[in-house]
Amino acid sequence: MSDRANRFPRGQTAIVGIGCTEYSKDSGVSTFALAASAIRTAMADARLEIDEIDGLCTFGTSDSISPNLLAQALGIKSMNFYLDQYLGGSVSMSIVAQAALAVGTGVADCVVCYRALNGRSQQRKGGAKAPNASMPWDIQFKIASGYMVPAQEMAMNARAHMLRYGTKSEDFGRLAVLCRTNALDNERAMMRKPITLDDYMASEWIAEPFHKLDCCLESDGAVAIVVTSTERARDLPHRPVLIQGAAWGGGVNISNNGFDDLAVSPAGPLAERLYKSAGMGPKNIDFAELYDCFTFPLLSQIEGYGFAQPGEVPDMLKDGAFDRAGGQLPINTHGGLLSEAYIHGLNHVYEAVEQIRGDAAHRQVKKHDTALVTGQLGYISGYSSAVILGGA
Amino acid sequence: MAERIIAPIADRDSAPYWQALADGHFKVTHCNDCGHWTWPPRPICSGCHGGNLSLDEVKGTGEVFSWIVVHRSTSPDMMQYVPYVLALVRLDEQADIYIPGRLISDKEVHRGLKVRVVTEKITDEVGDLAWTTEGVPL
Repeated sequence: MSDRANRFPRGQTAIVGIGCTEYSKDSGVSTFALAASAIRTAMADARLEIDEIDGLCTFGTSDSISPNLLAQALGIKSMNFYLDQYLGGSVSMSIVAQAALAVGTGVADCVVCYRALNGRSQQRKGGAKAPNASMPWDIQFKIASGYMVPAQEMAMNARAHMLRYGTKSEDFGRLAVLCRTNALDNERAMMRKPITLDDYMASEWIAEPFHKLDCCLESDGAVAIVVTSTERARDLPHRPVLIQGAAWGGGVNISNNGFDDLAVSPAGPLAERLYKSAGMGPKNIDFAELYDCFTFPLLSQIEGYGFAQPGEVPDMLKDGAFDRAGGQLPINTHGGLLSEAYIHGLNHVYEAVEQIRGDAAHRQVKKHDTALVTGQLGYISGYSSAVILGGA
Repeated sequence: MAERIIAPIADRDSAPYWQALADGHFKVTHCNDCGHWTWPPRPICSGCHGGNLSLDEVKGTGEVFSWIVVHRSTSPDMMQYVPYVLALVRLDEQADIYIPGRLISDKEVHRGLKVRVVTEKITDEVGDLAWTTEGVPL
């Protein structure tokens, strides 16, 4: 592998502010209003003025407010960097990574990454809609058979894992229960009613082997995070959360000819570059906020990011290895997309920052200096993305 | 001809593929230089990255590699079949090509189940495919 990953501006940029709105089934307001609210909160958290923003990054599937409109509304006169990345959770960490590039190279000074969506009340993922020419090109080869929602695609991979490693429904169920348990004492979480493994097994089938409780929420809400230079971050009120490493790029889907095992984690190749960019390995990670649009991707990422050999996760789950209290690698300490909310992965960054600052109150994990935060592992679009964050 | 609410949108790369299915033929992009098969029908060979490609009919046979049972469909066209098996089929021609489609069969699905393609005309220009075990020797 080339040394290109070493070129990432490791630790030179930091997250200095976080903001979010209430997460709900119906915000009652526009994504414009949601984004503005989260950005105001994040800038206030950083003790910075709105007019200091000189970059805005977001992503989405044409379902949100774009950076140019926000910049006009916020009165940002000197916009030095912007990114309006098309696509979903697979690119969620790529916007954070690219904000770090922009600030790390000095072309921008204060970049806000945000995601605002009315994913429940307005544009639902599961909603049937006729294809249109603006959809990703390869969608046309799946939709005719009704193969049209991520639950189905990832259930297909989950099946391949079950066939190869003997993974069982109960193993996916333990991940659903883990996330729900972590959400119970999270005041931001939408799902705070306890569930048991029996509840999981009894929940209705959506796309077998996925039950309803394998599937994440659809939510309204917004998250914003403020990225600036580490040098500047040291003068701001919170413990700086350094962007130590990042990788974004290729995943694996059925259109990648040449790939022939759907059970292998597509996170693996990305993980290698990610760790290299940060100059660390899996052993350096204290906790992880992993993209959990469904349960199985959690299992696959635990393998792909090097925390377990393929097939080992079920036994580790039974041993509590990923529990927030006492686990060797606490995961999704806020309940994740499965039980906190679906803010398309940016809520994972919010939680990681609170944990690293030591501000997570009763959710606080013991070791909280270094976090892995990931985007969707790369099954659908063929993209994936991840960052490693560390307390200064 | 099948009435469909959700049908593929043919574009400059995919139109001949959908046309072939409408005409009852399952054709896959085939490299005239290296012989590699590429799916979906892209303008670049996945084997040699060349562009000397034809759309050639395949045997239309393969094996189920993975499958799900769709209990909750978001497709208005597919709701009538729920619950139904949606299979990823590995083509006999080349092991790295997986084609999704509804499985029409009264046999219990398992990895390695041998299937063949069935085509369905949606419009004069666009067709669809499904998989069946009917008439396939075990």
